[in-house]
Amino acid sequence: MSFRSNLRIDPSNPLLTIWLAVILLISGLFGCDSVGDRFESNRIFAKRWELTESIDLREPLADSEVVLTEFFGSPDEPKWPKFLNVGEGKLVSLQNLQRAAGAFSSGEQGEHKGLFREHCVVCHGVNGNGRGPSSALLTPYPRDFRLGKIKFKSTPIGHKPTKDDLKQILHRGIAGTSMPSFSTLDPEDIEALVEYVIYLSIRGELERKLIRDAAIELDLEGGERLYDLDSKEKYPEEFADVRGRIKGWAVDLQESWFEAEDKIVDVVGPPEGFPLVGNGDDPEAIAVSVANGKKLFQGTTASCAFCHGSEAKGDGQTHNYDEWTREWTVMAGLNPKDKKSLAPMFELGALKPTNIFPRNLTMGVFHGGSSPEELYTRIVNGIEGTGMPAAPLRPANSQGLTNEEVWDLVNYLRSFLPAEEQSLVSQETKSDSCSEEDASK
Amino acid sequence: MSASEELAFSPTSVKAAYASGVHRLAVALTVSVFPLIWVGGLVTTYDAGMAVPDWPGTYGENMFAYQAWLFGPFDLMVEHGHRLLGSLSGLLCVGLVVAAYLRDERSWFRKWSVFVLAAVIAQGILGGVRVLLDERTAAMIHGCTGPLFFAIATATAVMSSRWWFERNRKHLSDHENESGAVGQYATGRFIALTASVLAVTSYCQLIVGAQLRHTTGAVSPNEFKGFVHLHLGLAALVFLVALVLTVSVVAASRTPKQVRRVSLLLAIMVLCQIGLGIGTWLVNYALPWAELNATLAAYTIAAKGYWESMVVTAHQATGSLIISLATVTSMRAWRSRASLGN
Ligand code: HEC
Ligand code: HEC
Repeated sequence: MSFRSNLRIDPSNPLLTIWLAVILLISGLFGCDSVGDRFESNRIFAKRWELTESIDLREPLADSEVVLTEFFGSPDEPKWPKFLNVGEGKLVSLQNLQRAAGAFSSGEQGEHKGLFREHCVVCHGVNGNGRGPSSALLTPYPRDFRLGKIKFKSTPIGHKPTKDDLKQILHRGIAGTSMPSFSTLDPEDIEALVEYVIYLSIRGELERKLIRDAAIELDLEGGERLYDLDSKEKYPEEFADVRGRIKGWAVDLQESWFEAEDKIVDVVGPPEGFPLVGNGDDPEAIAVSVANGKKLFQGTTASCAFCHGSEAKGDGQTHNYDEWTREWTVMAGLNPKDKKSLAPMFELGALKPTNIFPRNLTMGVFHGGSSPEELYTRIVNGIEGTGMPAAPLRPANSQGLTNEEVWDLVNYLRSFLPAEEQSLVSQETKSDSCSEEDASK
Repeated sequence: MSASEELAFSPTSVKAAYASGVHRLAVALTVSVFPLIWVGGLVTTYDAGMAVPDWPGTYGENMFAYQAWLFGPFDLMVEHGHRLLGSLSGLLCVGLVVAAYLRDERSWFRKWSVFVLAAVIAQGILGGVRVLLDERTAAMIHGCTGPLFFAIATATAVMSSRWWFERNRKHLSDHENESGAVGQYATGRFIALTASVLAVTSYCQLIVGAQLRHTTGAVSPNEFKGFVHLHLGLAALVFLVALVLTVSVVAASRTPKQVRRVSLLLAIMVLCQIGLGIGTWLVNYALPWAELNATLAAYTIAAKGYWESMVVTAHQATGSLIISLATVTSMRAWRSRASLGN
């Protein structure tokens, strides 16, 4: 009785009831979180070919999943095909893949496992499609690794980045975007993550190759299959042929990653005595070089201003789309602006196309690094996937820029850096500590 | 005859009813839970939830005997520290039950203290389940019930406070001498209701926040977006309710200072929380308009960076604090209304 009479004035009781109701309600919201048993297929890429070729790719898509699972396993249990680990050192070690894959956990020595799900999945997605949970709210969107294209690297457009390029990206992060710096991670963790990115990328590129092959080469109506395990016993030779061909593609893809090391573009240093912003040279000589850089920037040879605007504020041409978007819009014959025609793609999870904006360079923030060498690399290599072309150079191009002119441009770009970041003395000590610097090689 | 009536009619028993020992234990419990929530938040921020893979032992040892945590990696320190702090709160709950049965005359309060003990045990087991199953869902539920327990501990401290008893005495004296002081200090029903609504909405808000924090790869971009919008919508609601509460408290001059002060602190915390929320988005996902401003353009998120982790953990802990402050406000408001004996 005494308990009851207090109910009236004891507000914690009605509150508690409401709270309990809320908890019950919400616990219904907690879904299951198993994502580890299979990689989601690239249905958007298949849709692209279905639209352009008017075919049905459901069966080949299922077939491709079978080969890919045989070669690469699942998010929880990754595999690395034995036939890839022959010859030149290892591109990817199974041990590192296992460290990066799976659900995350940590041990008594502080070692973490499941690194990719711990650090990257919210943005890049389980299969590296760049469509993790948070992706739709980010600008720019996270990278889709399955195209094998990376923006900030030491190799020219059309070539893979080196492992060091990837390490550098993870170490530095990408300022002004949601891509974090992972410099607090152990070097072994970074190595494992880099190999996992390569793994997802090779897997993703092979998948795209399979889908494309099915769409263009196979006689689907005649019943031809991309990969048919049932035929293994009935027609062993044909099956071995098919499998061999697919293995060949995987080998080629791995080869393209190995090759990157040989494709690094050398930085051809400026001539003796050339003034550089930040190394204490004669201010007047520097001012002349910067002014010259600005003129070149606005000129028609480099045509930087076409995109970046004459004052480098990023307000030139701004209606382009990057290649990760073009792949499923323009290439599928769809207009990225026409929401209605894109509906089938949105249904499969595609993110709303957004324009790629040329950088406002006057902010003095360079995503691929702000050392003279790195900016030189950016200019002579262009930026993959963004439409920014490699600048034409002499002697290869008789109308192109001379070496000194490239360095004038570098000076112009570096003149936007905040004073404390211009100094090359501190810059050097900074990049020393990163130790992965290869742009200066 | 009810206990309160009994109390009301015998002034001596009123004095005896306030047991300072019980109240001190309840306050100590509340104070011990807040750091527990912080460290628990750090466990999630640093993904250290599985730094000790077994439970209730620690790497096969008794958890109280285990020493390596002090010298081990940060993950281990955070996770094991969380367990030790949790045990401390558990012990305080045991003390509370003993003290309540020895000193507190209200039988419902004794039962309540047993409930508090049961709640802390349940929360501990939930934490153990989280480790044994290695399930993010379990982690999320454990993370959502933690603040609930914080609110329960806070409520216990309020209900055992001298003020709580004195409201009864005032009720008594107001009635007895009919001095007209009845209307002097009392909280309107509207304020009490608003504070209760605030407690519940901010708890819902915390649950949605936990969904965002414990996102896995299985969540689709649209679901995530939905939760973000819900979280923003609820933030607006919490802000509005807090605004209404503050305005009504300030406007109602009869509100006792015990209600007034907490509700003002609550308003400040809600404002801080909005700032921390924006900060949390910034340090996790950056803002989509980086080029608006040179500082934003130059900012690179540092994964597991010190400031990043502090902002995120502070956002979570402040969420719990708001729920508890709203609980205090609403309980005191109801109490100072009810004691008018209308
Ligand atoms: C909070 C979101 C987020 C997280 C977490 C994240 N990334 Fe990214 N990442 C991005 C975004 C956004 C981009 C695209 C930036 C751009 O295009 O400038 C990106 C780009 C990249 C690139 C391509 C860079 C280039 O030069 O093209 C790589 C490689 C990469 N991320 C790897 C990772 C890895 C590995 C992890 C986990 C260790 C990770 N990211 C975690 C958002 C994220
Ligand atoms: C076709 C358009 C286009 C042209 C022409 C162009 N750019 Fe770019 N540039 C871009 C885009 C788009 C980006 C943003 C890339 C990204 O998404 O990070 C960019 C980025 C940059 C960056 C930033 C690199 C970094 O590390 O963050 C620099 C520097 C730059 N451009 C310099 C130049 C210079 C110098 C020229 C002329 C030689 C030039 N650009 C010509 C489109 C262009």
